[in-house]
Amino acid sequence: MRAVRAALPLVVVLVLAAALLAVAAAAREISARAGFLVERPAVLVVWLIGLLVAAGLIAWVSRAALRRADSSVSLWLLVLTAVALASPLLLTLQQHPSP
Amino acid sequence: MLRGESALPRRLRRGRRAVAALLLTAGILSFGYVGVSSYVAEELVYTAPTRIDKTPASLGLRFAYVTFPSRQDHLTLRGWFIPGVLPNGRLTADRAIVVVHGTRTNRESKGDHQLQLTAELARHGLAVLAFDMRGAGESTPAPLSMGTLEQRDVLGAVDFLRSGAIPIPALGRPHAIGGLGISMGAATLLLAAAREPAIQAVVSDSAYAEVVPLLEREVPKRTVPVIGHVPAGFVPAALVMSQVLYGADFFAARPVDSIATIAPRPLFLIHGLADGYVPISNFQRLNAAAAAPSTARVTTWLVPKARHAQAFKLTGTEYVIRVVGFFDASLGADRSQPGAAA
Repeated sequence: MRAVRAALPLVVVLVLAAALLAVAAAAREISARAGFLVERPAVLVVWLIGLLVAAGLIAWVSRAALRRADSSVSLWLLVLTAVALASPLLLTLQQHPSP
Repeated sequence: MLRGESALPRRLRRGRRAVAALLLTAGILSFGYVGVSSYVAEELVYTAPTRIDKTPASLGLRFAYVTFPSRQDHLTLRGWFIPGVLPNGRLTADRAIVVVHGTRTNRESKGDHQLQLTAELARHGLAVLAFDMRGAGESTPAPLSMGTLEQRDVLGAVDFLRSGAIPIPALGRPHAIGGLGISMGAATLLLAAAREPAIQAVVSDSAYAEVVPLLEREVPKRTVPVIGHVPAGFVPAALVMSQVLYGADFFAARPVDSIATIAPRPLFLIHGLADGYVPISNFQRLNAAAAAPSTARVTTWLVPKARHAQAFKLTGTEYVIRVVGFFDASLGADRSQPGAAA
């Protein structure tokens, strides 16, 4: 049960990533009806707000999980969370420059 | 010190602190990186439309304003239909050339003298459909994708010529359709022609083989409001975010992958030897891929001293003779019956 709770930040990161993509797609779909000149800033604003909310949630959940972490397994699960968090950075920088 | 740390073994205490630092660093870097890249993406997918100052009438040609939808997503595109003028002065629409402009310009395209080029084609008996791609000139604002989405506009132009409202009814519908594109317009035309066999002959001037290496080199040179020059490391993520947020898939703008399917239709590849924007290696890759099928009919012309998309501006008459000669050989002679006079 403890391991499951320690994995909560990782689950939250993955769920939030999926939710953010869904929200961005919905924002694009809705704002596109008003034309691209509206869609362009609207999608960015929704996305950036979503990023901020996601960052806050992940920080809160991770802090709580870190406080409860009392075994190396739970610490490794948090390391995995950090890797998941850094994955956008790692994946895109790995492609630069393009092949 | 985190709560309850004093009761933990020293090794675990140190581990907690290290993990806390790791999470904080990963979070700040990643969210910062994605946030900035998203902003760059928003700038990348938009170019302010440029004004059209002249029409074919300023060059003594008759024309009609036309409006038609792009294929698939039905965006409204605007352009000119310019009938060809036969040697006896008669107008014709028997052979039509779809002319596709480059990025950050429009159907007039002052920088590469596109209006003058379309006028020359018309004076040599080829009707021209010159239109603004999405997000350009007078067409509907839309994200820029360097060919991936814009190919739908070229396909819309072909649909318009084949089944749309005939701009000048007395001239009828074209029996043959060709295409001429410059820079991004050339890459877009190559992508469209690979999907649409109704485009019977293609002239590609200064096309790129794939756009991502070009963007990775050029985007850091651009300045973006608030952040100034875009650090090169943000470009890959900005390209991904362009797709995620706006559906502009720059990674799919790769004519080199599909150019071979244009065969056996004739293809004329033109490139400036002094092109520093789309290096000559792009031409070589496209030529190699296009010529691979045994049925390929590829003509090439490397223009000495020509910089990017400047071949017509530099060579003028020679350019016109070569291009018109290519279309005459590829599309056949004009078969129109006597109709309207110029």
